[in-house]
Amino acid sequence: MKRTTLFVLIVALLVLGSVVTACKPAASTEEFVFGVVLVGPYNDHGYSEAHYQGAKYAETKIPGARMVYLDKLNSADRPGTTLEQVVEEMVAEGAKLIITTSDDFGADTDVVAAKYPDLPFVHMSGDNVLTGEAPDNVANFFSKMEYTKAIAGCAAALATETGEVGYLGPLINDETRRLASSAYLGCRECWETYRGGDPEDLRFVVNWIGFWFNIPGVTLDPTVVANDLFNSGVDVLMSGIDTTEAIVVAGQRMDKGEKVWAIPYDYEGACEIKPEVCLGTPYFNWGPVYVEIINKVLDDKFEHEFVWHDPYWKDLSDEDKSYVGFKYGPALTEDQQKDLEDYIDKLADGKTKFFVGPLNLQDGTAYLADGEKATDEQIWYLPQLLEGMEGASQ
Amino acid sequence: MKARSPALQVLLGVAPILLTLVAATAILLVAGANPLAAFGQIISGAFESPRKLADVAMAMVPLLLCAAGMLVTFAAGLWNIGVEGQVVAGALATTWVALRLNAPAAVLLPLTVLAGMAGGALWGLLIGLIRTKGKVNEIFAGLGLNYVSMALTNYLIFGPWKPPDGATMSGTDPFPRAAWMPVIGTSRASLPAILLAVAGIVVIWWLLRDSQWGLRLKAVGQNENAAYRLGIRTSREIVLAFMVCGMLAGLAGSLQTTAVYRRLIPSISGGYGYMAQLVVLLSGLRAQAVPLVVLFFAAIQVGSPRLELRMYLDSSLGGVLQAGTVLFFLLVRGLRQRLSKE
Amino acid sequence: MRIEFRNLDKCYGSVRANDKISLTLQSGTIQGLLGENGAGKTTLMKILSGYTRADGGEVLLDGTAVTFASPAQAIAHGIGMLHQDPMDVPALSVLDNFMLGAGRGLAQQRKRSAAQLTELSRQFGFALDPDATAGSLSVGERQQLELVRLLALGVQVVVLDEPTTGISEPQKLLLFAALRKLAEQGLTVIFVSHKLAEVEALCSRAVVLRTGRVVGEVQAPFSSDQLVMMMFGQCFSRGGRPAAPLGDEVLQLDDIAVHTHQLSVEHISLGVRAGEVIGLAGLEGSGQRLLMQACAGIRRVGSGRITLAGQDMTHEPYHRYLQERVAFVPAARLEEGMIAGLQIREHVALAKGNGHLFVRWDEAEAGARRLIDEFRVVGQPTTRVQELSGGNQQRTLLGLLPEHLRLLLLEHPTRGLDVESSRWIWQRLLARRADGTAILFTSTDLDELVDHSDRIVVFSGGAMSRPVSAADVTCEQLGYLIGGRHA
Repeated sequence: MKRTTLFVLIVALLVLGSVVTACKPAASTEEFVFGVVLVGPYNDHGYSEAHYQGAKYAETKIPGARMVYLDKLNSADRPGTTLEQVVEEMVAEGAKLIITTSDDFGADTDVVAAKYPDLPFVHMSGDNVLTGEAPDNVANFFSKMEYTKAIAGCAAALATETGEVGYLGPLINDETRRLASSAYLGCRECWETYRGGDPEDLRFVVNWIGFWFNIPGVTLDPTVVANDLFNSGVDVLMSGIDTTEAIVVAGQRMDKGEKVWAIPYDYEGACEIKPEVCLGTPYFNWGPVYVEIINKVLDDKFEHEFVWHDPYWKDLSDEDKSYVGFKYGPALTEDQQKDLEDYIDKLADGKTKFFVGPLNLQDGTAYLADGEKATDEQIWYLPQLLEGMEGASQ
Repeated sequence: MKARSPALQVLLGVAPILLTLVAATAILLVAGANPLAAFGQIISGAFESPRKLADVAMAMVPLLLCAAGMLVTFAAGLWNIGVEGQVVAGALATTWVALRLNAPAAVLLPLTVLAGMAGGALWGLLIGLIRTKGKVNEIFAGLGLNYVSMALTNYLIFGPWKPPDGATMSGTDPFPRAAWMPVIGTSRASLPAILLAVAGIVVIWWLLRDSQWGLRLKAVGQNENAAYRLGIRTSREIVLAFMVCGMLAGLAGSLQTTAVYRRLIPSISGGYGYMAQLVVLLSGLRAQAVPLVVLFFAAIQVGSPRLELRMYLDSSLGGVLQAGTVLFFLLVRGLRQRLSKE
Repeated sequence: MRIEFRNLDKCYGSVRANDKISLTLQSGTIQGLLGENGAGKTTLMKILSGYTRADGGEVLLDGTAVTFASPAQAIAHGIGMLHQDPMDVPALSVLDNFMLGAGRGLAQQRKRSAAQLTELSRQFGFALDPDATAGSLSVGERQQLELVRLLALGVQVVVLDEPTTGISEPQKLLLFAALRKLAEQGLTVIFVSHKLAEVEALCSRAVVLRTGRVVGEVQAPFSSDQLVMMMFGQCFSRGGRPAAPLGDEVLQLDDIAVHTHQLSVEHISLGVRAGEVIGLAGLEGSGQRLLMQACAGIRRVGSGRITLAGQDMTHEPYHRYLQERVAFVPAARLEEGMIAGLQIREHVALAKGNGHLFVRWDEAEAGARRLIDEFRVVGQPTTRVQELSGGNQQRTLLGLLPEHLRLLLLEHPTRGLDVESSRWIWQRLLARRADGTAILFTSTDLDELVDHSDRIVVFSGGAMSRPVSAADVTCEQLGYLIGGRHA
């Protein structure tokens, strides 16, 4: 028995080796292969699936475009597999463009891109092009979720009866600070304009759990945090995290007879979890982004650039044109929806003040002078929450 | 054991692999894929080029070291499920050295290796003490400490060791260059890492076969009570076995941080500790067989992402192959024992 | 149901556990089956209840020959056995355990079973809670559960193997009352024990086994002397072994007490001189094993003082005893003495060591060969010890002992060995006296005790008799002492 096991393994490897068939895919001349690297499962009903769908959309819009993807690239699911190995595989597959879709891939993308100076890389949600860390063949693309967060904030202001809005925040960084602050700006604006309220009477509280989703023992439990917020008097809860606790908890409380609402995040269909409490969902629509990136490469117009897209104001829900969307929730009344549409129009025309001074940071220091409009960089690198918001800035 | 025809011997030996292939083929056919092409993708994905071979070699490093460690604890009759935590402990100790000490590579790299081994050994010592002093079964002690090590890693990555611009799942900032294990040319293969792994398995094979210590471990493993009566200090040997295993597992964790990821990431151990259990079982607890089994596992691991890229198949199929082989191996071994009894 | 055994044979390796046993047990009685450990009682009962098969001979139930392939078959024929360790499922409830093996388990029958359990419990005065898990019961209660379970299955013969080990006194009385009631109802109860008092109290008839044979059948009332003589065998006049000159005192025990949850051994004082051989007699479980373990440093003493060659060793660890050249040869050779799975030469390498990192396999091989030659072991240096016969295991174990010993402790040094092997082993042991080695050994063979000891102490219920000179003592006197009376 002892010897044979060794023998068997050798034989097995040889047998396996002999069945190797030369079945490299026949690359047609018009084909354009692009690689997409996902951090989670391609069917996670969340962040990774949104990217996967976006890439699928691009395949249908651009003749000859073919995606090769690898999902679950994280050390728990694929121990020992590095981004470099994956990119190598994709290049061997004929990939002419690599898109890495998680903030976590930022540093690795730069390292690998440096090894393939002629291959365009796009890292989504990073800013290494801005900071100058990224090599010349890397670009960053992102969309201005800030606007749809402001719309969501406005919806919260229109619905709240207690005048208290909660925001379930993930970890604290530039991105999450500016998204929470955008929501606050939209909320305050609509509280004043449509509800005739005094900003002093509006309470906007941000509680951070510590990460994008619950990690027992590391983050706070989002279910507990959500309940705490409701217990403190909040009646509209906005979600800034990847998972669905905000709408789930709101739904449970509504079932117990409380008058509460929720605004989920990230996934277009998130309202379906509990439509009765849902005021709407801001979401990313990656399809047009992928189309644009691929067309740039095809037309030889790919650049070392940082692109931050505005929404398609004419129709936020246009899946061909808008990079971010807002889906109205069933809990929104007709009057509220009318007000919200009015706010969206003003936001599109720049008639409402969004990141326009005077604005102070949370600690009272001046951020924008009276009438001063924030630059993209000022917004991207917002150093603190804004004055009037409750919650930690650092 | 009765003499049996060589043909039957060979058949029983090949059976686990054949059965696994049959099962995998069935799964592939149900999924609507060409099984031959799928297996071919795995093989070519693992062996087609020197770069692939280098990847396979690097995937073998942690498995070889963990399996070498487990040979020690298995020899002493201990089921060290805590290897996973020992890998993590080694990675944590190494990260501490790599992030805190400022030294040239010639000084820093040996220190990271020593720190990793010490960290793993310390973790092993804990399991050993819980087992011998606390009289808690090592499986529970090991599992418990695995979770502790995971929580500790998360705490450190999201707390004291988080990068200046905020914690992410991608772990700590990359180590300073001085703490990067050198690689061969532009490949990902690190010669020191490979040499350390080879040295690990060879030394353990030698010690278990020929040393007084190996013999004592074997005695403890076969009959702890009688070994004690023969004058072997069984508690000390058990603790030592856990520490040696932890040392090797800690080295595996250390090399994962310095030679593969170049930083500490959550779940740095990547399940190698659990996979090593399968390796050791499949090798029948014999050191000579371990490298081949490890090669088999590493090849599947490196080759299987192609299934997804080229055939749009879930690459978990690689895991199915690995686990299935072990399962069928155990089944066939049971069958063989029945046959030899009759 | 009348049970007859005819020429029943059963061998385990070279040990004849049952040697042509012929025996008839009548129904409606409580039969005692007496004998020391290893006498063959349990083997005989396992054959009867289907746990193992005989090599030869037959079992007849009411005159019909039967063979059982499994305990289930035996139960179907009306024979149930209660084992020393409860064989229930600890995680299941009492009721579930009760219903196990009954081949029914639907809700309706569940109700009926529950009623049956309650009725049987009431009948015997057992207080079994149907919903408690079996694991939460005491050993005595689990025994009660097992008993009512077998009765519900309709057994006609109940075999109880050492049932009073580990149960409380009230539980014991309850059990005895239940057994008497069963006998009155016409069932056959077979009570396997080595405890004389219990057999005397309970049984109407007793059969004594010794080394696999029936050595006597007696009706109540019993004379315990008679039973002891049967269990321990005849003793012949001394073989006239050469006396050895005794040296200084090697071992001094001062008022030693050892406690376990089953037995307390107290007030043991004894001095042993170099070259002296002391035999420890008594029914098994009377305390002699505990004392041996205490002297070897394996078991902690509760109080008192152990002095070895002038040094206080009372609370020293085991390896200190080894350093002081104390050796212990246990009765359970493969469980405590040697390591199954390891070869003879590996044992030699372990026992001798060499202070180096690596094993010198050539030296170990040569050492094993010397041991094999000198101790006449039938085997090779690479033979794994579990493949050796009992006698060869014992010889190997003796061959592994260090050369110069101060104190040698042996449990049943010749149990299971043939006459020639026994003689040869004692020759080797007694030769060590010249080296000043003192020997303590336990035995259940009066002949062996009288023949090889200088002095004999007798244990009974945890108490130790005053040492008697082996040269002067009579077998009758020993019998009295073993039976728990003072001579």
